[in-house]
Amino acid sequence: MSQVYDVIVVGSGITGGWAAKEFCEKGFKTLVIERGRNVEHRGSEYTDMQAPWEIQNRNLLEESLEEEDRYSNIRGKGYFKKATQQFFTDDKEHPISYPEDKPFKWVRSYQLGGRSVTWGRQVLRWGPKDFEANAKDGHGVPWPIGYDDLAPWYDYVESFIGVSANKDGLDVLPDGVFQKPWEMSAAEKVISQNLKKKYTDRHLIIGRAANITEPTQEQMELGRGKCQARSYCKRGCSFGGYFSSLSATLPAAKRTGNLDLVTDAIVYSVDYDETTGKAKGVTVIDTNTKEKRSYQARVVFLCASALASIQILLNSKSKTFPNGIANSSGTVGHYIMDHFTGVIANGDVPGVEDKYGYGRRPIATYIPNYRHEQKDGVDFIRGYGYQATAQQRSNTGTHAQKIGIGAEVKDNSNQPSNWRFLALMYGEMLPYFENHARLHPTKKDQWGIPLLHIDAELKQNERNMIKQASVDIKEILEVGGCQDIKINETPEDQHIQIGDRIHEMGGACMGDDPKVSVLNKWSQSHDVPNLFVTDGACMSSCATQNPSLTYMAITARAADYAAKLLASNTL
Amino acid sequence: MSEIKISRRVLIGSMAYLVTACALPTSEIKSIQLQKVKLDGQYFNAQQLTLLTDVAEIMIPKTNTPGATDANVIAVLDAMMLTWAGKKTKQQFNFCINQISQIAKNTFSAYYTEITLSDRRALIEQLDANSFAQTDTELSASYRKLKKIIFHIFYTSEEANPDFILVPGGYKGSLTKTELDEINKRGYLG
Ligand SMILES: Cc1cc2nc3c(=O)[nH]c(=O)nc-3n(C[C@H](O)[C@H](O)[C@H](O)COP(=O)(O)OP(=O)(O)OC[C@H]3O[C@@H](n4cnc5c(N)ncnc54)[C@H](O)[C@@H]3O)c2cc1C
Repeated sequence: MSQVYDVIVVGSGITGGWAAKEFCEKGFKTLVIERGRNVEHRGSEYTDMQAPWEIQNRNLLEESLEEEDRYSNIRGKGYFKKATQQFFTDDKEHPISYPEDKPFKWVRSYQLGGRSVTWGRQVLRWGPKDFEANAKDGHGVPWPIGYDDLAPWYDYVESFIGVSANKDGLDVLPDGVFQKPWEMSAAEKVISQNLKKKYTDRHLIIGRAANITEPTQEQMELGRGKCQARSYCKRGCSFGGYFSSLSATLPAAKRTGNLDLVTDAIVYSVDYDETTGKAKGVTVIDTNTKEKRSYQARVVFLCASALASIQILLNSKSKTFPNGIANSSGTVGHYIMDHFTGVIANGDVPGVEDKYGYGRRPIATYIPNYRHEQKDGVDFIRGYGYQATAQQRSNTGTHAQKIGIGAEVKDNSNQPSNWRFLALMYGEMLPYFENHARLHPTKKDQWGIPLLHIDAELKQNERNMIKQASVDIKEILEVGGCQDIKINETPEDQHIQIGDRIHEMGGACMGDDPKVSVLNKWSQSHDVPNLFVTDGACMSSCATQNPSLTYMAITARAADYAAKLLASNTL
Repeated sequence: MSEIKISRRVLIGSMAYLVTACALPTSEIKSIQLQKVKLDGQYFNAQQLTLLTDVAEIMIPKTNTPGATDANVIAVLDAMMLTWAGKKTKQQFNFCINQISQIAKNTFSAYYTEITLSDRRALIEQLDANSFAQTDTELSASYRKLKKIIFHIFYTSEEANPDFILVPGGYKGSLTKTELDEINKRGYLG
């Protein structure tokens, strides 16, 4: 692999897969470099065909993990079980640094496919107001693009990945190219209909899932089939029912013959050519031998995920860029954001006791942000939505953790009980310059790479949102017809871990002004024209919607632009 | 003598340790309705396995549906002691077994495996009640942990999930009971 590639793509996750597919399909020789191991789609690491009694240790994680304090950031999380352990990264092996009083959570999946294997697949467009927010209230760097710039790329991405969703006709959550939506449960329908009677701005809609319900010709040609409603997505899907790099973009890239793939290689730096003023390629460290080697290309796309790309940028030091490549503005690493929750609410839904659910729907329901405008005298800007669900009625459970044994207890266990609706707030965190990631001055990982030190926290605006979200959701549940409503609000003095929602972004924001931003409207470095960063690092604000669809649209758009420059030799 | 077969599935939790399928050979002591395990397991010895098998069956007895013994709960637990259990859990389970034996001796002046089923049931019921009433003792913590894993293994077993469908084929959110039963019987949405 001594050739000079047209393009190097760093990372093979959601955005890297997209960059690879786009460049390969446009005829460019593309090298994808992935730090994790190779994972075969439908290979032995997929555990989706195992029944509960076939999963090792009955899906319990070895207790030694706790004894050795491994995976400490995700132990206890619902998505982290024995059947999915192989797809998550151990933070003990791959440490990060943060201030003691502000623990940060960086949930990673170091393997081919990255977190596209493990993600929740909720794919929501951002609306026009989301792109206008920074300019409107003066926080962060104004977005250099608007909804209209991305709309065709949302269409393009949705058509390929397959999105099952309903056309809800909401300005705040524009509709797109959708396949048949998932059905709401009887309980969810009750709430949705009740909300419609009272509100014009608060809607309960079915989630929008990157799980296919009506496979297109293109999807079938890639070996993808209809989602089977197993909801075992995080174990990998042998049906190719959900979108991942492994099931979709990488096979699409591979079949062009233009893809080279290197796994087990950590991109350490982007190499800068002082004479041309461009990136000439990257230096990697082999994860196994720890040896360094370099690859060259005409264009470099960083798609390693927001924080990893920041780490690479900061680590890429040269005479021109002593503080990291593409960092003439000094803003690389700044404006770290994530969504946050601070309110969990639930309530019984009466009146549907004679109804039952079947199957395991792979997506929740959603209440989109209705607080873009500062109204009702609230003391915060921006807003929040709620991820919510009542897809199955609850059951009586077992007595595993309560008093009682014997025949009677057994007979009463796991019997159908009420329908209960659960809602979780997802708030928009403002882009604060001081929330930042930098290289730790002394601490290094086992490959000698400086650790990322991440210093980020919520501020008063977000805390005020939590209070109002708590009031709002109580009312929403009441209006929805719920009873026995319980609200859990995180106290103001309790640290809420940034990164916990796994939507970490920012750090190399897009903007028109090179003095205050890292990337232009094409996600192209202001400083180094053949360097692009198209993962979450490029985001100038975080809105409230799950972000990966927007990352994909930005990546496809940037790749299209870069391809045109490559073709016209203007890079 | 009856044999509690460990199916291949039971072995999944302990693949690394077992080469061939094995069985827990038991013989029933009819007078006191106790299944006595005759061979040591991979982690627990035969006596411990006998006690645990009995305790699990008292917790989750066979009724018109399978019980803990039918679901091989203790055979799976024995394997999982090697692949799942941490140091503390191992200590707790050994402690709990010893304590149950000790309580039997103190109360009935006999080994646990010598007392009648109704006495054994009474003992475990009492232990269960005490363990949830007063949670700050070592015995309570150990017993509750043991109970939790026994229930977990049982309720994730094939025997306890006769209606489980690995590939539902779709989702419906508003079915009548009759419609649901029909789909479950068919085993696929159709
Ligand atoms: C449990 C879970 C649920 C989620 N749910 C949703 C959801 O419902 N909707 C949504 O929009 N998002 C969701 N996300 C977030 C989503 O997964 C991420 O936003 C998305 O994967 C980011 O894409 P990416 O390409 O930037 O990064 P990733 O998908 O993380 O891929 C980055 C890749 O780069 C590799 N890499 C990192 N550093 C280097 C390096 N130095 N050199 C070489 N390779 C490197 C990594 O190993 C990885 O393979 C969820 C995530 C998780 C874990």
